[in-house]
Amino acid sequence: MSIAKSAVPDHVPAELVHDFSLFTSPGMKPTACGNPQAALSHLHTDAPPIFYAASNTYDGRGTWVFTKAEDQRAILQNAAVFSSNRGLFKSALGEDLPMIPLEIDPPDHQKYRSLLNPLLSPKRVDALEAGARERAVRLIEGFVAKGSCEIMNDFAFPFAVGVFLQFLGVPDDRRDEYLGWANDQFHGTLDQRQAAMRTVVSFVSDMIAQRRAAPTDDFIGFLLTAELEGRRLSDKEILGIGVLLFEAGLDTVAAAIGFDLYHLATHGDDQQRLRDDPDLIKPAVEEMFRAYATIQMLRQAATDTEYKGIRIRAGDMVSCPTMVANRDPAEFPDPDRIDIARETNRHNSFAYGPHRCLGSHLARRELVIGLEEFLRRIPSFEIKSGTAPTTYGGHVFGIENLVLSWG
Amino acid sequence: MKIKVDHTLCQGHARCYALAPAIFILDDAGYILPGDILVPEGQEVLAQRGARACPERALAVADKDDAA
Repeated sequence: MSIAKSAVPDHVPAELVHDFSLFTSPGMKPTACGNPQAALSHLHTDAPPIFYAASNTYDGRGTWVFTKAEDQRAILQNAAVFSSNRGLFKSALGEDLPMIPLEIDPPDHQKYRSLLNPLLSPKRVDALEAGARERAVRLIEGFVAKGSCEIMNDFAFPFAVGVFLQFLGVPDDRRDEYLGWANDQFHGTLDQRQAAMRTVVSFVSDMIAQRRAAPTDDFIGFLLTAELEGRRLSDKEILGIGVLLFEAGLDTVAAAIGFDLYHLATHGDDQQRLRDDPDLIKPAVEEMFRAYATIQMLRQAATDTEYKGIRIRAGDMVSCPTMVANRDPAEFPDPDRIDIARETNRHNSFAYGPHRCLGSHLARRELVIGLEEFLRRIPSFEIKSGTAPTTYGGHVFGIENLVLSWG
Repeated sequence: MKIKVDHTLCQGHARCYALAPAIFILDDAGYILPGDILVPEGQEVLAQRGARACPERALAVADKDDAA
């Protein structure tokens, strides 16, 4: 990957420049049995609350980094100034294809969210629960007798991606291929990223064309007949929504399942507490969303602005790594302690502000179902001796090769 | 007890609803209904926990007679 090291812009005071990168700082590279979220906690004591990192994107651009929960809330709630319209596909492919609603700023943003919110509201997620639970049980029953499994490939991906593809109306027989595209786009070289983006756009375009020819009662079918302010959605709008949802739902929930089971495998006391009191699974899921958040929000200043006396210039990138704010001692007492019964837990893992994760209610439900069924069917488990999972930071944090054993 | 609702700040996290679905009523899109909430007697603790769960700070506990 070619990294064009950015110079620090001249409006950034020298004392606010801090040596940091979500991609290369200690604990961010693939690490055996690491804890990439905990590896960033030190920022709350070692760095200014708002600092400038000279190379903090996959392609080596500089960003502001906001570490405190209060400040991330202020940035993410102010979507008009801190825009999420970064033109991802335009900059990568030269194609003007906004990801909807993520790359749409207020006030238009609300129109699209109003259209999509009811599809993934807490009540609608109730209707998806039975199918998701059945899928989890089927997968677990498939490996329980073996006494061991690799969580990501045997459980987390087929469960989470399967549930989401079913919601979208996409058959999951090509799941591994889709995951390969996501892996290339989020973790690949520049060329791999561009190729993966082209592949996904063409895949979703084909799906739209097929649904037009033979209507279906699924998510794409909904978009084809949906009305926005008295008109049908354009093909470009449907494509922008379809591509965004296809990508957003592929690996984030699986990563959360992986980190949660990694925690429970290495913290036998917490695992036993959840077995003894399954009512604790819901607060435990929230606590592990807090402690093991996997994404950063990137915004771009739409105008010159000032925040707490710091000058931010139009075009500056602003990074809000959720896993850092989630360990802010001003927001969470004793933040590095994982307290599965933590009561007040206003974590940022689904962002703050109007771009709050559209799929958050489905994601939560999948985590609760996944842990309930796993704990109910699998006896006391641990990391299989002689194996070591690999954890990594970057644009989306993750875990691989998580081999558990039991019995 | 009253819960003051800043409807403009609600982003549909539904953390309040997860803790106390009878107190925090959501619309079909999953956002809180506008208007302050008078908490039924005996449900104050639950209501407080729900308000404290809001990541956006859209909910605040106020005294019933608090006109502010």
